[in-house]
Amino acid sequence: MTCRNSYLLSSYMFIIVIVFNLSPCQATEPNIPLHIQIDNLVSKRQSALKISPAKISSHEEFVRRVYLDLNGVIPTAKQARLFLDNKSPDKRQKLIDELFANPEYALSMARVFDVMLTERRIAGGGNLYDVPPTVWKSYLASSFANNKPWDQMVREILGTDGSEKNILGASKFYNVRDVSPHLLTRDIGRLFLGCDLQCAQCHDDPHVKDYRQADYYGIYAFVQRLKIHPLSPKGSLVAEGASGKTTFTSVFTAKSGETFPLLPGRNMIPDPTIEKDKEYKIKPGPKEAGIPTYSRRFKLAELLPQPATKGFSRNIANRLWALMMEKGIVHPLDLHHDGNPPSYPELLDTLEKWMVDHNYDIKEFLREIALSKTYQRSSVTFENQKEIPAGTYCVAPIRGLTAEQLRWSVLQATGRIEQYYLKIESQKKSSGESSNLPYWNTKLIQNEVLEKQTASFITAFAGLPGQPEMGFNPIVDQALYLRNNSKFLQLLKDEPGLVLSRLSETQDVNLLSEELYLSLLSRRPNKDEIEDVIKMLANAKVPAIRLETLQALMWGLLLSAEFRLNH
Amino acid sequence: MGSTMNLTSSRIEFSRRTLFAGAAGSLAASSISNEVFAKPVKPKKKQLLLLFLSGGASQFETWDPKPGTKTGGPFRAISTSIPGVKISELLPQTSKIMHRLTVVRSVNSNIPDHFLGHYALQSGRSVPGYPVLGSAVAKLLEQPDDLLPGYISIRRDGPKAYTDVGDAAFLGAKYEGVRIVNNQSPENLIAPLSVKPEITNLVDRVRMATDQRFKMGRNSNPIASYGTTYNQADALMKRREIFDISKESQSDHERYGKHDFGQNCLLAKRLLQSGVTCVKVTHFDWDAHQDNFYWHQIRCAEFDRTLVTLLDDLSEKGMLENTLVVITGEMGRTPQINNLGGRDHWGRAWSMVMAGCGVKPGIVYGSTNELGTEVKENPVKLGDLFHTYLRALGIDSSLDYNIDGQTNPIADPAAKPIDLLLA
Repeated sequence: MTCRNSYLLSSYMFIIVIVFNLSPCQATEPNIPLHIQIDNLVSKRQSALKISPAKISSHEEFVRRVYLDLNGVIPTAKQARLFLDNKSPDKRQKLIDELFANPEYALSMARVFDVMLTERRIAGGGNLYDVPPTVWKSYLASSFANNKPWDQMVREILGTDGSEKNILGASKFYNVRDVSPHLLTRDIGRLFLGCDLQCAQCHDDPHVKDYRQADYYGIYAFVQRLKIHPLSPKGSLVAEGASGKTTFTSVFTAKSGETFPLLPGRNMIPDPTIEKDKEYKIKPGPKEAGIPTYSRRFKLAELLPQPATKGFSRNIANRLWALMMEKGIVHPLDLHHDGNPPSYPELLDTLEKWMVDHNYDIKEFLREIALSKTYQRSSVTFENQKEIPAGTYCVAPIRGLTAEQLRWSVLQATGRIEQYYLKIESQKKSSGESSNLPYWNTKLIQNEVLEKQTASFITAFAGLPGQPEMGFNPIVDQALYLRNNSKFLQLLKDEPGLVLSRLSETQDVNLLSEELYLSLLSRRPNKDEIEDVIKMLANAKVPAIRLETLQALMWGLLLSAEFRLNH
Repeated sequence: MGSTMNLTSSRIEFSRRTLFAGAAGSLAASSISNEVFAKPVKPKKKQLLLLFLSGGASQFETWDPKPGTKTGGPFRAISTSIPGVKISELLPQTSKIMHRLTVVRSVNSNIPDHFLGHYALQSGRSVPGYPVLGSAVAKLLEQPDDLLPGYISIRRDGPKAYTDVGDAAFLGAKYEGVRIVNNQSPENLIAPLSVKPEITNLVDRVRMATDQRFKMGRNSNPIASYGTTYNQADALMKRREIFDISKESQSDHERYGKHDFGQNCLLAKRLLQSGVTCVKVTHFDWDAHQDNFYWHQIRCAEFDRTLVTLLDDLSEKGMLENTLVVITGEMGRTPQINNLGGRDHWGRAWSMVMAGCGVKPGIVYGSTNELGTEVKENPVKLGDLFHTYLRALGIDSSLDYNIDGQTNPIADPAAKPIDLLLA
């Protein structure tokens, strides 16, 4: 993308900034759990503005939301019922811990970070020089299953040339961008530091004072010597040359400059002097990517993921917050600069500090957010919603399901995930086979069958390649898909072991309605809804018609906003 | 009882959206009566037609001939309906309507590359990440009651990926061109036969009743905008025959030409007439590295006749004054003729053409030197062209997009419109 400058700040936001700058700055208390710190800060602001938050979410709202956010899929009817009927007062915390322990946590985080870090790009050569999707996904899933700290992940992603066996796949970030230095510069800035320096490629950004051409070329210098080395059909490597100066000229002022590698907030890193003919540890050749004696890229991998690099810690804190709370405290996520201040600076400072103090522990960070009342608000309020200022967290946001969440939730709601895994279980029992792979890894492979069934979902619901995921922007093509697409309608067919067949075998309409609503909307139906079901089935005595009617009920609920949104 | 109330009230809600219901109704009517197609649906609305000559047409064999020079090739230049202006003899029909065209002979885009050129000539920038013309104009001319897709891109099937570069970028999927390949309708416009109408009604009833309840106490914007997409889907399904050129008369099929480009242009006309804001037609195979003169004879023959038919029709129906027609490729071709009789990639001095809405007809702007190796007068950058297109459509090209709190100049701030071309 492009030259994107500041928000138009409402005068209202200035007031807030002033209010909190005047109040004595509370140091973050290391002994107070993060979720309490978050709630304290949020309620401090709410009371300063004299607005009251919505109630805590109902258990029905909570169970659906937390499954979607932490496991990437709605709960089954059984899982929802189990939680709703549990009388224990700490059942929310228990569920949160359970969801983090599920293999689905690692798998769903792998999907989220796949989309975040590749932005659904397609490499120039298609699959030819790219890392295969399964290899990349299993790198990500293994990282999240082992709760690898974020700084370590970034070090691996930026440091690998694609050959290290233990982190195979990590070079996807480079490969999917064809190892193209300008694209890499921009996306290293956007995705790891939260700064879109695009405009500064050609000139100092006229809108954003903080983004200078020298900053852009400071990062560019790290990756300028890189290129793709298509070694063999087995995969290509990221190759680095040993020489190349970095110069730039402004298209506006014709002023030019030269730079060595430079990260925001840090010192320039001049190249060491290297004797002639000793520039390479391994000389590059047609079949050899080569290794330079001094690698600017290794410097990048070493120095960027550190608290001293401006933006590094703040970016990940803000992105993970957005994952749970719809928007970043700085939003858009890649526009951290003075003209676009955080909606709540003290809150972002707190999150950032926690990240650094806790060694970039992603799982624990998300867990703290999930435990907060701020996260657990209801999306229902009878306050005038238009008058609630942004960033006060009075009411839970209503978000669209991502393409991936939608695909898995449709599979879940129809019972196809359960059906598939029951079949695998029974096959395993009969064959007596067992696998040495970790559970997440087995599932990653087994899930491919279900993903294939729903590939058309991604085509219909995914955003555009190379663009960050945007808010909820439904389009007509998607409605047409959910109405008419034969691959989608295939999923609604009746087969043994699916929710539909369970419903059609249930004669008691109350039980049937409950199963239907728990399967699709993770809640029990209200009285009106049960009556609707009764009325619709009253005219459907013939078995075939009854089945069709049940199918229509499921289909209608799948098409409802309540299903389509995370609320 | 409560449920009946709810179901009824959601129905009332549906019909109360008068704007929408009204539009959908008239659409349904238009799908029955072919007469509606005889008149433009929205005469006031401005539209865009982009004819993209993919591969790069030679300016020497089209708009800027240099007969009798060492770069000029074998063809003659012929007089046109603009006194004193000559074009290649490969465009005999076009020569008679030159007074309707606005020709630029001094484009210096300096991008001798298919991929980059396809993107740059459509987005008015060489820096990646901006929306292409069709997406931009679809967004900028969008009206709240629009039901049809804002941008439709028509082409024949082909393996070359570079023809599809460029898209809606940060404008989002809504403004991405709907691709029509080989004149096939877009996907999912027809309900499967296995689904009975009663089932569809039931599905709608359940969906709307659920939304009605869900809305209570919640932020209604995302819920309403999601519901609207189903109404749009209904309208589009009812109107799917706008994609069906078999509905056009046999004589029109003949007039436009039975080749891909002719048939694609016939569909383009039908879509414009139906009210689609932006249509792009890609004409392939101009990349004549070998046998340039033979290839241009074939390409120009298709192009020449179809273009004139299309412009005649648009003009006759009173649509041309509201439709900007842009004819360009991703580049021109070299003055040098290589030893295979071909011309190679070239971006330094070449030609493009506009017609219709907002541009001065009968003008030839800029010139190249005697051998066509450099621009002589009034050099034009690709950013200038993009500004000019927008201005011709009545859009202030100095404005910014503001999407989700991000602002972006709609056209390159370092370029500007060419005032002399604007009506």
